[in-house]
Amino acid sequence: MDDLKTTAEITWCPGCGNFGIFTAIRNAISTLEKMGIKRENIVMTAGIGCHAKIFDYLNLSGFYGLHGRNCSNSEGIKIANPDLKVINFSGDANGLAEGLEHTMFAAKRNQDITFILHNNSVYALTTGQFSPLAEKGWKGPSTPRGSYEQPFNPISLMIEAGATFVARGFAGDIRHLTNLIVQGVEHDGFAFIEVLQPAVPYHNWEEYRERIEYLEKRPETYFEAIKAAKKKHKYTIGVFYRTNKPVYHKELYGYHNPITKKLSKVTRLDKIRKIIELK
Amino acid sequence: MDSNIFTFLVGGKAGEGVKKAGSVAAHIFSSLRRHVFQMDDYMSLIRGGHNYSVVSTAPEWISSHYMKANLIVNFDKRSCELHINDIAENGIMVFNSDEHELDIGVGIPLTSEANKYPMKNLMFGVGAVAILAAAIGFEKEKMNQIIKDEYPRGIENNIAFANNIYDVVFPDCGNKFHLEKGAKKRPIITGNEAISLGAIAGGLDTYYGYPMTPASSILHFLAQDADNFGLAVVHPESEIAVINMAIGSAFTGAKAMVGTSGGGFSLMTEGFSLAGITETPLLVVLSQRPGPATGVPTYTEQADLAFALTAGHGDFLRIVASPRTIREAYYLTAEMLDLVWKFQTPGILLTEKHLSESSMTVELDIDKTKWAEPKMHQNGSYKRYLNTDDGISPMLFPPSINVIKWNSYEHDEFGITTENAEKISFMHDKRNKKLDTLIEYLKRQVTVKIIRGDNLFNILTYGSTYMSVLEALRYGNLNPTVVTPIYLSPLPIWELEEFKDQENIVIEQSSTGQFTKLLKEKAGLKIKNTIKQYNGRPFDPIELLERIKEVL
Repeated sequence: MDDLKTTAEITWCPGCGNFGIFTAIRNAISTLEKMGIKRENIVMTAGIGCHAKIFDYLNLSGFYGLHGRNCSNSEGIKIANPDLKVINFSGDANGLAEGLEHTMFAAKRNQDITFILHNNSVYALTTGQFSPLAEKGWKGPSTPRGSYEQPFNPISLMIEAGATFVARGFAGDIRHLTNLIVQGVEHDGFAFIEVLQPAVPYHNWEEYRERIEYLEKRPETYFEAIKAAKKKHKYTIGVFYRTNKPVYHKELYGYHNPITKKLSKVTRLDKIRKIIELK
Repeated sequence: MDSNIFTFLVGGKAGEGVKKAGSVAAHIFSSLRRHVFQMDDYMSLIRGGHNYSVVSTAPEWISSHYMKANLIVNFDKRSCELHINDIAENGIMVFNSDEHELDIGVGIPLTSEANKYPMKNLMFGVGAVAILAAAIGFEKEKMNQIIKDEYPRGIENNIAFANNIYDVVFPDCGNKFHLEKGAKKRPIITGNEAISLGAIAGGLDTYYGYPMTPASSILHFLAQDADNFGLAVVHPESEIAVINMAIGSAFTGAKAMVGTSGGGFSLMTEGFSLAGITETPLLVVLSQRPGPATGVPTYTEQADLAFALTAGHGDFLRIVASPRTIREAYYLTAEMLDLVWKFQTPGILLTEKHLSESSMTVELDIDKTKWAEPKMHQNGSYKRYLNTDDGISPMLFPPSINVIKWNSYEHDEFGITTENAEKISFMHDKRNKKLDTLIEYLKRQVTVKIIRGDNLFNILTYGSTYMSVLEALRYGNLNPTVVTPIYLSPLPIWELEEFKDQENIVIEQSSTGQFTKLLKEKAGLKIKNTIKQYNGRPFDPIELLERIKEVL
């Protein structure tokens, strides 16, 4: 598992929730390898923010994109070569502020990617501004009198948008989180995993640990899932929703693969000749 | 008027089949083995308004429509009012006598004749085809065959209607024009079809596009043919998603292209810069329409040149090239796809509505296209951004046992983020080497096309304006040297050197003369005069000829 670490210097704050996610993802990749998924078939993308530093630390191929845009990079990877498993790391601002439309549409399309949302409810890297998941009243440098906005409910939002696997984990329960990530990668379709991730300059772990509750059982239907997402408090972890729907790339071209089944130049030119003849 | 050139203009409301009638006319001319140029002028609406299609044809190559038409068919009063001055000497205007009466022209009861059939005014286009057929003495049987092929809905009614109109109009217009036959039958394609086919020929795997005139028809064409060629063609939620998806695809080795117009490209510039630092091969088709902002959506302009040359923040290599003709668009798209993969940087195929949506007869040597293939990593340990003599790092794509990291932050050779002073300048230098390599490469390619003339003066132009210029010069029997850079970034100044102090006239479609500025600043050319047009319309050759004569 240590060969999943690069030699890059880790610059997360000591005690940051991101360490828990980092451990869980490495555990999950080892587990997936044991289950027969080759490591070279797993690629990652990251946006910009504290979450994204994982790109430099994880010794895995991938694309370090722009703030808010890496979900589109993930979709482009999957569409071009569906043999690849794509893990998409995102912060709550990356995925639900600047990148909200991309996240919503990836869920709407049921893109076969695993979206891990590091929810620290704050813009940590840019010095503590309120984020899409920050509580109303969050005092940060851009909202000195407290924010005026209600946070999103990411679980119900993603179920509504069309995600087919929706779960919440906690950076402090690595075994539970590892299991969620493995399930998410295995799932055919858009798997959304929100991870409660304390950022130490702003939160303390004890508050999280005290409030964490486990969802007793996975809701059976869409409406039960929405109900659970709305009724349970935001420290409730577990799988809220799982269903089977056709994935985007198979709707687009069935079992084709634009890379591995690419048509040769000769075949293409013959077909072009036929098209031109009819013009 | 050159007696060999014949122009047909058809005008009416959107939804009456104006454009289709133009295209069927073009096919009638090509069946006579003639060359054809078709320009469609339409408004940004679905029904109503005023649309027209102009088709000019000649036995020899023709590179523009002419606004002076020999035969004009107008479906409504508004079209007559707008095109009354477009009748050529000895030309005929046919109008719809159910709508109004006119002192000139030939009135036929188009509406009442069409009302005898269930499709009513949807048949106007068929009527226009029949009027043309009668006027040029095209046999009814051949006309019927073409109508059968081109209007598959309600064939019997269409043929009955066409024959009826043919007979009604024949006494006034029959056999009025004799069209000499040309040498061979050639296919007719639009600029956007040429771009799409060129991309496929060059190795395209994925295309992403958000609808925006005049680039949308690339998306439509490729979506239609995606299965046939094994492509992934996707219409995402925005141009921002478009470019980022394309970049994601390129990371896997897929040859990706996106297409848009100025407004959409504005949204893409963030991703364009991302492609710069990550060294992502990416081809953007930027088809210009009049700006700024929403501008005039369905018309033409060349005012995004300066924007294209500098798009995206930061220092990085941008390749910009512009095709002059529809035929050239086919080859150049494949060539650009190859170039962006050779040099691992974003490139722009800069064109205009006038090229994208006009159609013309072409002779294509289908096999003469480039095929995009990057320099690949051979063996051993891998560094994505390996420093090499030419600045080009060998590529490798997942799945691979090697770790491949593409990074939007400044990075080391492996692709890990860095803020180290030495490494930052090192990586800038590495990327900048690609410009020198590219220039050396382009020096061995055709980058500026020059037609040598009588040396009295030079005309410099680019993009589809070249076609208007050529037609104007031919019409007026003028023979200057015509210099058209295909590549605009890097600008091939080594090819332009000899023209520096000569009599140079620039012709372009930008109100501030962006191309003129580029030639002055980058190539040090003295420019005597710039002929500009920025009313959204392409140049008419006869008007352009007059303007050229004025500045001589």
